[in-house]
Amino acid sequence: MPYRSRDLVLPGPAGCILLALCLLGWSVLFLKAEEQSHILVYMISCGMMVLVAALTDLHTGISATIRGNERTWDFCLILVMLALLLIFCDDHYNLFLLGTIMVYAVTVLGLNVQLGCAGVINFSAASFFGIGGYTAALLSGSGLPPLLALPLGGAAAALTGCVLLLPVLRTSGHYAALVTMAFALLFKVFLEVSEWFGGPQGLSVQPLSLFGTDFGKDVHFETLDVSFYVKYDLVCFILLCLVFSFVRRLERSWIGLAMDAVRSDETASACFGINIARWKIVAFTTGNLLAGIAGALYAMMLGYISPANFAFADSLLFLSILLLGGLGNSWGVIPATIFVVVVPEKFQVIQEYRYLIYSALVLFVIVFRPAGLLPRMPRHYFGRSA
Amino acid sequence: MTPLLSCSSLTMRFGGLTALDSLDLEVDEGEILGLVGPNGSGKTTFFNVVTGIYRPAGGKVVFAGEDVTGMSAQDICRRGIARTFQRSRLCLDLTVLDNIMIGNHKNLNTGFVHNVLRRKAFRADYEAGLERARTLLRALNPLLAGHVHRTVSELNMMDRRRVEVCRALIGSPRLLFLDEPSAGMTHEETRRLMDEVLNMDMGGQPLTMVLIEHEMEVIRRVSTRCAVLNFGRKLCEGDYESVTADPQVREAYLGADL
Ligand SMILES: Nc1ncnc2c1ncn2[C@@H]1O[C@H](COP(=O)(O)OP(=O)(O)OP(=O)(O)O)[C@@H](O)[C@H]1O
Ligand SMILES: [Mg+2]
Repeated sequence: MPYRSRDLVLPGPAGCILLALCLLGWSVLFLKAEEQSHILVYMISCGMMVLVAALTDLHTGISATIRGNERTWDFCLILVMLALLLIFCDDHYNLFLLGTIMVYAVTVLGLNVQLGCAGVINFSAASFFGIGGYTAALLSGSGLPPLLALPLGGAAAALTGCVLLLPVLRTSGHYAALVTMAFALLFKVFLEVSEWFGGPQGLSVQPLSLFGTDFGKDVHFETLDVSFYVKYDLVCFILLCLVFSFVRRLERSWIGLAMDAVRSDETASACFGINIARWKIVAFTTGNLLAGIAGALYAMMLGYISPANFAFADSLLFLSILLLGGLGNSWGVIPATIFVVVVPEKFQVIQEYRYLIYSALVLFVIVFRPAGLLPRMPRHYFGRSA
Repeated sequence: MTPLLSCSSLTMRFGGLTALDSLDLEVDEGEILGLVGPNGSGKTTFFNVVTGIYRPAGGKVVFAGEDVTGMSAQDICRRGIARTFQRSRLCLDLTVLDNIMIGNHKNLNTGFVHNVLRRKAFRADYEAGLERARTLLRALNPLLAGHVHRTVSELNMMDRRRVEVCRALIGSPRLLFLDEPSAGMTHEETRRLMDEVLNMDMGGQPLTMVLIEHEMEVIRRVSTRCAVLNFGRKLCEGDYESVTADPQVREAYLGADL
């Protein structure tokens, strides 16, 4: 029998566990590293590993193992996350980084419903993210339970999105892109001049509180200091899991199919009775809702917000995450978000040049791998075998 | 008996060009009407106007006793007209199953609760759809029924046509429009495809069909009646023999082998 490197990956749950352990080990090493040279080494080694896996067909083995044991894999990922929280439980910086990754991923998942499923372009994701955040800020001190800021932030973003519906439905292609860009720019200017929204200084946001625990305070166990970010990260993680499974189910349903049809061919869709406007509205509103929820949580985690957090560049950032990961592939969103958020944070040298590097990377992907680093897979409504 | 579809003085203009010129055409329940005519004579435009892609400049379309003139494509689909396209309009990156299910959209439950929250119920629904798609495919090509989860881009031209036909048939339309199913296929393949469509069991319901086709041999074998268009006008109609014997038709087709 010919030697195939994909056979190196154990099939079955054991393979999943091994993969998850590798992931955990690498994440811990990477997050703990502080020397720039160490970080560089970890990044290069990770890049090399991905390259080798891609070139030697190892990745087909990995994806087969993951696909064959979806349940185990999901479970392993949850354990990896909990292990990370435990290991870094007193490390504010890395915990905040993890939380940021998760709220960004939720936003990009929303963007994926819009652009990846229904093909509705949105250059103002950061604005809807911001609407969620400002909703949380305005609710501070209102006496309402802070958790309510999440659904209300989402609802505010979704409702504001309705203003854009008409132009987005009426125009297409470049014009729709321009409309959302104009909205993103106007949004920031509006915040900067508005007294009510705190102008350029922004507003402070009350911390989340749940079941009587104040999310703004650290917890002390015996000798152990547990950062308050652990609590936020747990909420972020629950939100991410819920949103992820929601988006996956949406994609793998008749709703996702109708959105796919609208994206691929409007004329044919209309001829088969698909209501194009309806599905575009559903996609656009769902995406904005998710961005709003994520924004509200982010604002509470940050404790204050200002217009600078929701600039047009951030909208582009969300879009580039989606393009990097692969349009229409929810799984691709996760590594792409990690990459885009973590690399400039850890690797300070490139901090100033990060937009330059992103643009180069996005251009590279668009030219050489137009479907993204992890392209969309054909739809399987249930598991692999169904 | 009133016809299933009846168009009266249907007119369609593109700028200065009159693609349909006061066209009167009727389709009876259960018949297979062959629609022929030289290139650019308005055959596809006729389909596009009836299915609601274009709004006619004048005239009337009555389907199953209801005036459907100027209705949206979506509403007309819901009343039971399905079609294929001259240039294939399948979604290449979707699977065979997905493409076929798009044709069944009007019968699918797209409710949020059903699709996202109640996955058990959705699964039963999905499996029923899968079985129906497989049954249709099996009638056209048993091999294809095993490939429902492949993307359409992996299929050859003939299988793509079959998928298009299945997509049009899965919603159990009352009237089926086929726009040049032979395009891109050999004579033999077209013959086989048409035989397959004709032999398809539509659950006892008679299949009413309008077929645009340049391949006169296909028209001769399949159609129960023919209509000839030229410059958006109806030159003549009748059975295959009388139509091909018509001197006007011979003139319009001068050079073509009739
Ligand atoms: N969307 C459009 N805009 C402008 N002109 C059009 C449009 N669609 C069709 N036409 C014109 O209308 C006339 C009829 O075209 P149509 O496609 O209906 O012909 P056809 O009979 O289907 O021809 P073929 O056998 O080549 O498919 C042609 O002259 C064509 O150029
Ligand atoms: Mg045509």
